[in-house]
Amino acid sequence: MRPRCASVSACLLLAGAMIAVHDHPAGAHHSFAMFDSVNKTTITGTVTRFEWTNPHVLIEMDVPGQAGAITHWSVELGSPSILQRSGWKFSDIKAGQKVTAIINPLRDGRPGGMLYRLTLADGSLRGNGGPPPADLAAK
Amino acid sequence: MTRHIAGAAAVLFLSVVTVLNGQSTSAVADPHNITGAWEPMRGGPGAPPPTPPSPIVLKPAFAPDWQARRAAQDEATKRGEPLATGGSQCIPYGVPTMMSIANYPVEILQTPGQVTIITEAFSEVRRVYLDRPQMKVEDVPPGYYGRSIGTWDGGTLVIDTVGIAEKVAGYQSLPHSPQLRVTERIRLTGADTLEDQVTLDDPIVLEKPVTYTLAYRRLPKYEMVEFVCDNNREYTDDKGVVRMKVLDK
Repeated sequence: MRPRCASVSACLLLAGAMIAVHDHPAGAHHSFAMFDSVNKTTITGTVTRFEWTNPHVLIEMDVPGQAGAITHWSVELGSPSILQRSGWKFSDIKAGQKVTAIINPLRDGRPGGMLYRLTLADGSLRGNGGPPPADLAAK
Repeated sequence: MTRHIAGAAAVLFLSVVTVLNGQSTSAVADPHNITGAWEPMRGGPGAPPPTPPSPIVLKPAFAPDWQARRAAQDEATKRGEPLATGGSQCIPYGVPTMMSIANYPVEILQTPGQVTIITEAFSEVRRVYLDRPQMKVEDVPPGYYGRSIGTWDGGTLVIDTVGIAEKVAGYQSLPHSPQLRVTERIRLTGADTLEDQVTLDDPIVLEKPVTYTLAYRRLPKYEMVEFVCDNNREYTDDKGVVRMKVLDK
């Protein structure tokens, strides 16, 4: 099964390229332009809620900062359909688990973003609609 | 009889195409059987070369506004503040946009006298009634799906749709009038590939019809995934920008 783009991140790049030639693709639910497609942020914390819902799957997580203060982050993923076809299960994550997420953060600076790659508590990796990217430089 | 001869010719044609393209080794058993789940494809391994869409030429009364809206969308997107769309508000796409949303599959079901098309994205449903007279545009209540009538032309299912409400966003954000007529020509291009050639004809808005082609690959034994848009984290701010709601716990 070969989706149109390898992942939501790849779709983001594709959408950007298509916009550059003034084509407006009928993308999924919304534009990805609210996320920073170039820079990434890595957050490690505890999942407070995992929502296997439409139009997007969401990971809510508490992330401790350097001074011990907790910042809550909302991480958006693709839809259940797109994730399921790439190997995700609705039961992959549970509240209380520690995860590390590499995200494309919101460009407006609020603590939210779109998943690029997730590391689960057992060390296994998940992508966002495609195989988990192995090399950040090769995105 | 004519239909059967045409169908046989289509089988022969498809077989030749299959050999020439090398896209599939299985023969097309019946060009009239398009039942199944189909995934839109836009390039990538196994995809045919994209068919260029025809140029879009609007009537002078509509062109400046359309170009300005698209420029505003592009500019907002570059700023990282994409403008809200119907999709971002979980409003159905309707005909014809629903036929190709990202890579969400489209399920085609055939029953006597009817072809039903169900999309995975937003679970949209359209019903195509076969071999019935089409109604006058003026007599069809405007909606997201209009009224669709289908006929088989050899191995091609030709669908005529009228009655698309003006509020329904169009291809490339095109405006349209109540006179919009959508003609689709759906056919198997191989044992496991399908295309939908879409033509938009609107004598009020367009100088000439616009045609574009959508390509699909079959997803054997695919089970369509539920898609109820009940947890939409995207909202529209007071400037019309779509933003993601971030929670604090």
